[in-house]
Amino acid sequence: MRFWAVVVRHACRNMMLTWKSQGMTLFTVSLSVLIFSFFYLVYVNALHIGEKLGDDLRLVVYLDEDPSLPLQEEYRHRILKFDQVERIEFISREQAFKRFEHILGPNNDVLTGVPTDFLPASIEVYPVRTLDSLSRIKRFSDYLQTLPGVLKVQYGKEWIERFYAFIQLMRVITLLSGSLLIMTTTFMVAHTIRLTLFARQQELELLRLVGATNNYIRTPFLLEGALQGGVGACFGLGALLVLYNWIALQFAGPNAISLPAFAFFKWPVVVAIIGLSTLLCVAGSFSAIRRFLHL
Amino acid sequence: MNPESSPPPTMIDLIKVSKVYPPNIQAVSDVSLTITKGEVVFLTGMSGAGKTTLLRLISRMEKPTKGMVDVAGMDVSKLSERDIHLLRRKVGMAYQDFRLLPERTVAANIAIALEVVYCPRSLIEKRIRELLEQLDLMRKYNTRAGELSRGEQQRVSIARAVANNPEIVLADEPTGNLDAETTARVMALFEHLQRKGTTLLIATHDRALFQNTSHRVVELRFGRILSQSRAEGSDDDLFELAPSLLEEIEP
Repeated sequence: MRFWAVVVRHACRNMMLTWKSQGMTLFTVSLSVLIFSFFYLVYVNALHIGEKLGDDLRLVVYLDEDPSLPLQEEYRHRILKFDQVERIEFISREQAFKRFEHILGPNNDVLTGVPTDFLPASIEVYPVRTLDSLSRIKRFSDYLQTLPGVLKVQYGKEWIERFYAFIQLMRVITLLSGSLLIMTTTFMVAHTIRLTLFARQQELELLRLVGATNNYIRTPFLLEGALQGGVGACFGLGALLVLYNWIALQFAGPNAISLPAFAFFKWPVVVAIIGLSTLLCVAGSFSAIRRFLHL
Repeated sequence: MNPESSPPPTMIDLIKVSKVYPPNIQAVSDVSLTITKGEVVFLTGMSGAGKTTLLRLISRMEKPTKGMVDVAGMDVSKLSERDIHLLRRKVGMAYQDFRLLPERTVAANIAIALEVVYCPRSLIEKRIRELLEQLDLMRKYNTRAGELSRGEQQRVSIARAVANNPEIVLADEPTGNLDAETTARVMALFEHLQRKGTTLLIATHDRALFQNTSHRVVELRFGRILSQSRAEGSDDDLFELAPSLLEEIEP
C-alpha cells in the first residue's frame, strides 16, 4: 500500500514537472483515439447496417413461364448445389399480380381489365445473411442466369457493389487509423517519459544512492504512461460520444432521415479501447525506460 | 557463554583493495581495513590520498579493481545491481558535494531517504524535525536547498545520511564548511549515533575533529594506509604502518 502511495506521488510529481509535454501527449493520444474510434464506429455500424439490409436482400429470377412442380424441384436442387440459401420462394404469375395489386393499395383500380398473367413468374432467392453474401451475390446472379427458362436476374447490383466498396474502404481506414494510434501513442509517450527522465536525472541518481529499489524508480514512469493512455482514451471516447450525440440530434425528428442501426460502442468495446490505449502507452513508457534509465 | 565478552561484529572489511581509474591512476592501493560495529574511524590524509575513493568503494559507488570489500556481511563487489539497495539502506553517506536537490525543500531532501524504505508520513515528519533541531536548521524546514549556504547544505546532507538510522554512516568532509559551534553540533550527532551502535567512517582534513577523541584514525597517503592509530591523548600507539610509504617520506 505504501509502495503504491509513493509511486502515485512520484508519478504526479513527474507529470507536474513536464506538464507542457504531458498536455501535448494527452492531446495527441486523445486525438489518435478519437480518429481511430470514429472510423471503427463507422465500420462497425456499416457492418451492422449491412446485416440489417441483408434481411431484405434477395435475388429475383424471372422465368419465361410458371414452373411445374418437378421443374421447381429441379430449380431448387440446382440453386442449393451452388450455395446455401435461407429460403427459396416460387412466385406464380397470379401471385405476382396479387402482390402488385396489394402494393398499389387504394389505387389498384388501375389494374382493372389487365390480364392477371401479365407479370412473369419468378423465383425469389434469399441468400444467407452475412456480409460475405453481398460479395457472392454477383457470382450467384451470374450462375442463376445460366439456368434454363430464366429471362432475367435482378438484385440491387449497384447498391451492393457500392456498399461493399465502402465497407472495404472503412476497413482499410480503420486499420490505418489503428496504426496511427499505435505509433503516436508509443512515440509520444516514449518522448515525454524521456523528457521526464532527463528532468529528474539528478533525483533518480540520488534515489539509487539512498537505497531505492529498481521498481521504486521505474514504476512511477510506467504509471505515468498508463495514465496518459487511459485518460487520453477517455477524453478521445468522450469527444466521440459528444460528436455521436450531436450527429444523432441532427438526424432526429419526424422529417429527418432516420439512422436505424447506428449505435455507439457497447461497454466492453469502450473498455477494450481504453485498455488497448493504456497498454500501448505503458509499452512506450517501458521502451523509454529501457533506453534512457540506466540503473 | 557471556555475550559481553564476544567481540563486536565486523561491519566493514576491506582486504587488499585497490582501485585504478583509467588510464592508469592508482586511487587506492592494497588497502586492508577492518571496522567493527559501533566504532568511529577517522580517515585522514592530504587531498588525493584516496579518502573519497575508499568511501565510494564501501558504498558501492565504485567497484574495486582488486581485493574484497565486505560491508555489513555483504560482498560488495559481487552485489548485483538489483540488490544494491540492500547495501545502500544500511549505509548512509554524507557527500562532499552534498548531492542535494536544489529545487526541493530541506524537508523534502531529507525525506527522500525515508520514503525509499516506505516510512509512514508521520514518522518522516517527526524524524525530519528531530534532525533539523539537532543540526540547528529548524527555521529552514521549508527553504529550498538551493537557497541555503554551503554550511547549511552540508548539514542537510548529513541529516539525510543519518535519517534512516543506517548501520553505517560514511561522511566525506562533513565539517568542511562549518563554524566551530556547528561542527560541535554535528559531532554531537555522530556521538549520539555511535552510542546507538552505528558505525561511523569520517573522512576529514580537519585534525581538530579527532585530536581529543579516543577514536581510531587512519591516515592515507598516495592511496595506501600510512598509519592507523588512536588519536592524540589516547593510550594506544601506532599499530600499523606502510613501510614502503614511510621510506618515501622519511628517507
